[in-house]
Amino acid sequence: MLLASASLTLAGCGDSDASGSATGEAASHRELVVSAAASLTAAFTDIGAAFEEANPGTTVTFTYGPSDGLATQINEGAPVDVFASASPTWMDVVQDEGPGVSGRTDFGRNRLAIIVPIDNPAGIEDLNDLTEDDLKLVLAAEGVPAGDYAREILTNAGISDTALANVVSNEEDVKAVVAKVLSGDADAGIAYATDVTPDVAEQIALITIPDDMNVIATYPIAVVSGSEEADLAQRFIDYVLGEGQRTLAGYGFLPA
Amino acid sequence: MLGLVIRTPWSRIGEILTSETALTALRLSLMVAMAAAAISFVTGFPLALALARGSFRGKTLVRTLVVLPLVMPPVVAGVGLLAAFGRRGVLGSWLYEWFGVQIVFTTWAAVLAATFVSFPLAVLALEAGMRGLDERLEDAASTLGASRWYVLRRVTVPLMGPQIAAALVLAWARALGEFGATITFAGNLQGRTQTLPLAVFERLQTDPEAAFAISMLLIAVAFAVILALRGRFLR
Repeated sequence: MLLASASLTLAGCGDSDASGSATGEAASHRELVVSAAASLTAAFTDIGAAFEEANPGTTVTFTYGPSDGLATQINEGAPVDVFASASPTWMDVVQDEGPGVSGRTDFGRNRLAIIVPIDNPAGIEDLNDLTEDDLKLVLAAEGVPAGDYAREILTNAGISDTALANVVSNEEDVKAVVAKVLSGDADAGIAYATDVTPDVAEQIALITIPDDMNVIATYPIAVVSGSEEADLAQRFIDYVLGEGQRTLAGYGFLPA
Repeated sequence: MLGLVIRTPWSRIGEILTSETALTALRLSLMVAMAAAAISFVTGFPLALALARGSFRGKTLVRTLVVLPLVMPPVVAGVGLLAAFGRRGVLGSWLYEWFGVQIVFTTWAAVLAATFVSFPLAVLALEAGMRGLDERLEDAASTLGASRWYVLRRVTVPLMGPQIAAALVLAWARALGEFGATITFAGNLQGRTQTLPLAVFERLQTDPEAAFAISMLLIAVAFAVILALRGRFLR
């Protein structure tokens, strides 16, 4: 009896297709682990769901966070298949100091913007207002792409010293910056234009930064070398570069 | 801990631990933890007395509320503090509108967060200590004409020496290690709100080895305190 049930179980597990094609037949369960920059949360959640639908039997698990932290996790051995970074710097770190990458491609770009609570208590209208006395400005920490880009913008505008003196908190990722503005405790923050998602649009206002002072972030994506699902990972990347572009555009990302 | 010891970059440790980041975080952490322990003790002592000796309606509810921060995930505690003391919070909005005072992003916010999570430990430890006292000694003092305040000051507290020390150390240790509530409610700024755990977390994102080194510092500090007090209350 035991032998019969054992062999039945084994037979049920054994029909995985070597190329893992999405034929809709009994494909074995495959899992893809994706580490993506925090700013990609909304877009990649949608893309992940669509990819799972197009590839039955596949589950995509996301870890969202600061690109520097994600890169460090990968270099410390985290079993990640795909890495999508908000800056080329941290992809370089995985490439040069970590397990290495393959299939690296830029898949989108993003502008930064000033975000304020919808009632704009400090009356911010442009970059220069960030030098106001006693302003409570929140940025992402140095090392986090959004944090480095923000500091670059302040330097471009020539207001680095005064504005940085107004920083009251260096947050661990850009979503935490958004959270502090959402709760109304920060007067202003610098985040991505895409961070004003539909669900926070009624509580946060966006103030554009002039293009000549702004930073346009480039987002690379790649398969992490050593991944056990390298072919599936590459298919996910192809999806992001194909169908996924519409989703990204919908959230305000610029094409690569 | 063994992992930390093995992976700490001992060759760089001098340079890391004497860096401005580490020293500032250490100084801030010690100040915040001491303040939190002191506030927890001062506010917790009367409450512990009431719980140990008093009988009043709602006692169970009070005890539940006191223990609540212990079982809450620290980030949830931070969110709760924001809801109460944030600029749009229940109390915070009043403080801001009437006094222009904003607690979030200040060192006091870090102290408040640390106090919130260490307060239950102080109360529970003090209460346990009070329950273990021989009340006859206090009664004797009373019958000899001592006022209640005198009894408290000259009989109860001295009798509770070791238990008070234990409560203070527990509260201090919990406050020192506080992370989730601090980062959520107080924010993260070197010199103002970046305590050691926050400094470790920030470094971890870019330089894990430096984070290991600063973690060793935290452990060493805690170790030293416990060692120094072992004669007093760890029989």
